[in-house]
Amino acid sequence: MQIKLTVNGKKYQRDASETKNLLHFLREDLGLTGTKEGCGAGECGACTVIMNGRTVNSCLILAVEADDCDIQTIEGEAKDGNLSELQQAFHKNHAVQCGFCTPGMIMSARALLQKTAKPSVEEIKEAIEGNFCRCTGYQQIIEAVQDASGQLKKKEGLRRA
Amino acid sequence: MLENTPRKDRRYVGKDVPKIDSIEKLTGQALYTGDLEFAGMLHGKVLRSPHAKAKIVKIDTTRAQQLAGVHAVLTGKDLDYRVGLYLVDKYILARETIRHFGEAVAAVAAETPAIAQQAVDLIEVEYEVMTPFLEPKKVFDKDAPLVHPDLGTYDYVQAVFTPIPGTNIANHTKLRKGDVNKAFKKADYIIEREYTNPNVQHVPMETHIAIGKWDVGDRITIHTSAQSPFTVRNLFAHSFKIPHCNIRVITPYLGGGFGGKAGIHLEPLCCCLSKMAGGRPVKIQATREEEFSLLPCRSGLTYHIKTGVKKNGKIVAQKMTMYWDAGAYADYAVNVTRASGFSASGPYEIENAWVDAYTVYTNKPFGTAYRGFGHVEFSWGVERHMNYVASQIGVDPLEFRRINALKAGSKTMTGEEIMKNTGNVTKCMEAVAESIKYGKLTAAEAAREKKTGRKIGKSVVALHKAPAMPPFTGTVMILKLNEDGSVTGSHALTDYGMGTYTSLAQIIADVLRWPIERIRLPIENDTDRDPYDWQTVASKGLLLSGNAAILAAKDLLDKCYDVAAQVLRAQKCDLDHDEEKVFVRHHPKSYVTYKQMAVGYAYPDGNAICGPIVGIGRYIAQGLSNLNKETGQGNPALDWTYGAHGLVVEVDPKTGEYTIIKVASAYDVGCVINEASVRGQAIGGMLQGLGTAMCEGYIYNDKGQLLNPSFTDNKIPTSLDIPEEIDCIAIETPQIDGPFGARGVGEHSMIAVCGALGNAIEQAVGAVLTHMPIRQEDVWRALSNKKTPGKVVRQSKAARTEKTADAEAVAKPRRGRPPKSAKAVAKTPKKRGRPAKAASAAAELAKPRRGRPPKAAKPADNTPKKRGRPPKAAKPADNTPKKRGRPPKAAKPADNAPKKRGRPAKAAKPAENTPKKRGRPAKAAKPAESKKVKRGRPTKAAKPVVGMPKKRGRPPKSPVINK
Amino acid sequence: MLQEFNYLAPKSKNELYAQLKKYSGKARILAGGTDILVELHNQWVAPEYLIDIKKIGDFQGISFDEDEGLSIGATTVCIDLIKDRNAKKHFPLLVDAAHRIGSPQLRNRATIGGNLCTASPCADMGCSLLALNASVEIGSEEGTRVIPLKEFFTGPKKTQIKKHEILQRIIVPAEMAGAKFGMQKLKRIKGHDIALVSVAMARTAKVMRVGIGSCGPTPVVTEDLPPRASLRAVVKAVKKVVSPIDDVRASKDYRLFMTRQFVEAIYPELFKRS
Repeated sequence: MQIKLTVNGKKYQRDASETKNLLHFLREDLGLTGTKEGCGAGECGACTVIMNGRTVNSCLILAVEADDCDIQTIEGEAKDGNLSELQQAFHKNHAVQCGFCTPGMIMSARALLQKTAKPSVEEIKEAIEGNFCRCTGYQQIIEAVQDASGQLKKKEGLRRA
Repeated sequence: MLENTPRKDRRYVGKDVPKIDSIEKLTGQALYTGDLEFAGMLHGKVLRSPHAKAKIVKIDTTRAQQLAGVHAVLTGKDLDYRVGLYLVDKYILARETIRHFGEAVAAVAAETPAIAQQAVDLIEVEYEVMTPFLEPKKVFDKDAPLVHPDLGTYDYVQAVFTPIPGTNIANHTKLRKGDVNKAFKKADYIIEREYTNPNVQHVPMETHIAIGKWDVGDRITIHTSAQSPFTVRNLFAHSFKIPHCNIRVITPYLGGGFGGKAGIHLEPLCCCLSKMAGGRPVKIQATREEEFSLLPCRSGLTYHIKTGVKKNGKIVAQKMTMYWDAGAYADYAVNVTRASGFSASGPYEIENAWVDAYTVYTNKPFGTAYRGFGHVEFSWGVERHMNYVASQIGVDPLEFRRINALKAGSKTMTGEEIMKNTGNVTKCMEAVAESIKYGKLTAAEAAREKKTGRKIGKSVVALHKAPAMPPFTGTVMILKLNEDGSVTGSHALTDYGMGTYTSLAQIIADVLRWPIERIRLPIENDTDRDPYDWQTVASKGLLLSGNAAILAAKDLLDKCYDVAAQVLRAQKCDLDHDEEKVFVRHHPKSYVTYKQMAVGYAYPDGNAICGPIVGIGRYIAQGLSNLNKETGQGNPALDWTYGAHGLVVEVDPKTGEYTIIKVASAYDVGCVINEASVRGQAIGGMLQGLGTAMCEGYIYNDKGQLLNPSFTDNKIPTSLDIPEEIDCIAIETPQIDGPFGARGVGEHSMIAVCGALGNAIEQAVGAVLTHMPIRQEDVWRALSNKKTPGKVVRQSKAARTEKTADAEAVAKPRRGRPPKSAKAVAKTPKKRGRPAKAASAAAELAKPRRGRPPKAAKPADNTPKKRGRPPKAAKPADNTPKKRGRPPKAAKPADNAPKKRGRPAKAAKPAENTPKKRGRPAKAAKPAESKKVKRGRPTKAAKPVVGMPKKRGRPPKSPVINK
Repeated sequence: MLQEFNYLAPKSKNELYAQLKKYSGKARILAGGTDILVELHNQWVAPEYLIDIKKIGDFQGISFDEDEGLSIGATTVCIDLIKDRNAKKHFPLLVDAAHRIGSPQLRNRATIGGNLCTASPCADMGCSLLALNASVEIGSEEGTRVIPLKEFFTGPKKTQIKKHEILQRIIVPAEMAGAKFGMQKLKRIKGHDIALVSVAMARTAKVMRVGIGSCGPTPVVTEDLPPRASLRAVVKAVKKVVSPIDDVRASKDYRLFMTRQFVEAIYPELFKRS
């Protein structure tokens, strides 16, 4: 089925298989492999993209449902080769370990900051609650989002004793 | 090495340097195995067994083979190859016998995943379902069905492991230090209890995936999400008898591993499908559900600890028996058993110690390496036990740990002497105790208790771990000087987020005195390009690879100095270097730049000397030895990293709901190379450990089928589950042979936090838990248990007569705050433990009952409740009459040795020297809870549903989820 | 997906009715997709047709009418219910319930109608809508019918909807507007999880009701209780309608215990002054 959609500001027109989900369509048909598959069942959030301004699990959406939609993926976060302030904050605050959850996590954080300029810690935790991370324990990710929104007063560190 | 380098000379080491591999991950440009496409690539799918144990009577793949788009179909009959790290017991696809739920029976390669799945669905298999063996503690039962009747024919590493053919024991690790029986006689108290935890899944965010290509001439290329490319190559070479140089293994970026990807898993199957498909590459990506049953997990453990202790708090003897529920194949589990065996007591000095650790085969998904390598599992028991013993003898649990902690001069269980520079576990405990204000409630905590009606509990626990690795583990780092004066490294340790490569770059930068931006360490590894590294496991990476990096950097500089000496006509001792050049120390204007010499130095007239510069650093573990198989004595430890946790929890005394308020963690890392990386490991591991403690665990029915094979019912912690407050502390007792004094900490953060939680909950509300996970329902149930597990014998007259108010008051599981001192306890009003009654005066839906715990639900099919023994396991499907007496004989050994008549070789007796009973084999150590076999109720040891949360009263009938 | 199916996206109710009649028994409805796509992923179902109803205007939107009450289009997603002005003002219990569903990503797609039609015993919207005495409008070529929600669920994952019918909207009666409320949900973790037990209570000047999820083959509701019914009476009424079981998530005993706990915790909230 022919679909038209905008991804990271670029318009696409493609013949999409009716049985393919949006995640596989982005990865296979558009070559945007940044978005990852972690479970295929809407639990882990690794496949999170922003669709019409809202985070969604792209594994639970058929490609054909994205007809006429506006999609943001991780590939659209950096502009002209420059990391966004959110990506820089993740980098600085060691919010990335294996990196598999990172694209989806950035999308959830991005959607939050698009809605709330200075989210509280509780709001940050809620916004990323649907993104599993097995490596970081989430704390440094929360600090990165605080930093990106200008709220990290003191950099948490490792104490020495 | 370089541990005495002054702080002022450490430009990068010890600082917070952003990870060198995070940008490509942040932009989505890092390529993981699943992002790779190759010309002609096919997709593989696997048919998995729905049974835990069965004979494969017939497989018909005709319809699958005929489906358009299918290029290869394989069954076990086609693949007579076995793999195994330490004990070669596993076929690539099941041959004749299924040994666990989810085991691979057949595989297909096709042009699309959908066609491959269709083909799998067309394969017809006829099974003869058999009785699975599911309970490790029954390993000594005479009629236990054998998981591997052919165990006696398998190759294995004889220097290290001891399988017992004719049984389900894949390995028996023994340790005998001192004289435990004599020492028990001198103890004032003998205290014993049993602790359990189920199988658990690693849950890397990227599931297992591999792409295999088998070209003509047996040239193999594998792209795989694997932690140890050289191990994949080595095991492949051994299994298929192909030269190592024909096999190339490439590991792109990895989406997590935690030990689950340490060995060899999907790679052989991908390659075999490729071979059948004429050399087309075949990709198999495990679904999340397959991750839970096709791929391996972490072994479960039943751990019985019996401690002899003096009333002054000194442990004099300890007997430890471990039954590892290792599942269907030995994989890493035999080594987990061994490594846990020598570490089994925790970081405490035990003069007389006896360990029997059994790797038990069961018909379940098999256990592999998992972060902590057995330590998370046994530390649960150790740290719960330390609190139990302390409470029984009237000593504060932290003080009890201080008394027994390993320190300089102590001897470990393997006879190794702890030195001043080994590390300081006491300092770790003090640091966390201070952080959580152990021993009292702060004003804020007291106010919180008052406001909410919930109770706050605190605990401090300690941990230790040495890398579990062969004594001859080594590694190599190569540094290649580039034309522009930068350097590119080549190394086969994998970095999947721990930050090891960033730390290595920091180390290299400080030795070279270069800006770190000029050092490139490619994350992707390639066995054709990179030199050997054993594996990325065991928290040995930073130490071994860090040393190799120092040696490589020094070697690189040495070669640069060689060139400079010749060009500048100077002796090397007169030279020095900075970030751009090598120069004569007393004439700095006399120099040669790295750029000038990188690929050979050319004089103005064109003469050239020296050639391209490469630095090589090789490092191998020093002074280690195997353990004596009879006594467990030896020197296995590259280093010991000690640590401690302090945990504060708030518990609802009515419902059992709890919230973790604070976790403080301290590790003696020797030297912090990268602050934020250490913190990241500390927090990430802590939460992964809390996942084990709070909500993770496989649940099986009595047929061995996995009931929770997805995230729906196998939960892991989310951002809402983290402690309210987290504190990470580093202690730096330098490791003399570590790079800048550093030692590893990758696994340690996971190890003891479970015990911390169990202890703090008990301290808060008196709920005694000896099984994980600790769900709030389990806390609730424990609160209403009148009888708590464990057995205490007051042996000495002093112990018996010293029933002072002090000892009595702490003998019971305590409610409320820990006692300030023994005397003070007598004056502290005792809080009695029953949870507050419900506000409702009248008909309540379910009162917590007195006496017998609540009965389990009636079974859905209204089968009349059976009294007495638990129901027997389901008969095999074809109604073959159950054979009485001896287990089926093992297959004849391949070399036609004369068949031994009579009973199969007896399994090693369990540790207790119980006099031999006729008729039945000597029973394994009973769980400490109860000696009486109660009428009407099944014995506690016999649990029909393995892995189900422990309940009192009649166990539920097997719940089966109907999809 | 690993299965083959045909995707249809009717633009009107009538087009949908015709397709439902034609493909009766061979089609499944695609609303938010958060249930059906999981079933497809796991290969639990293999429909020949997947009918996407999100383009049908009649099934969209939320409106409030002083006589009828709150009308929720079947394809309303949770986040839109959470943000809806009328829902927040008149039926905050529904906002609370919708907020407890899944993760943010799931709430951005899961529909209220889909949650009811999946008819899981633990449906979060089930117990809250039952407490508010909601009804559902079901349509087909033959016309529409409105039935009380408490008659809608007929068994685990089973509803009254016939193969040629569609759930069109949910009606929450005006007389429950402004009801005092409370909801509690028992989970295994603090992150998103299926309800092990959920209790939703609503009370107006005229009536009190308790809806309970995960304690029976369907979400259940007590009989209409007097607005000043004693806690004892409420607990008794709840006991009459629940029948929890043991499963891998929780035991029957604990479910019963926690149901009572939740009722006791919520009860005083129903009598607080605004």
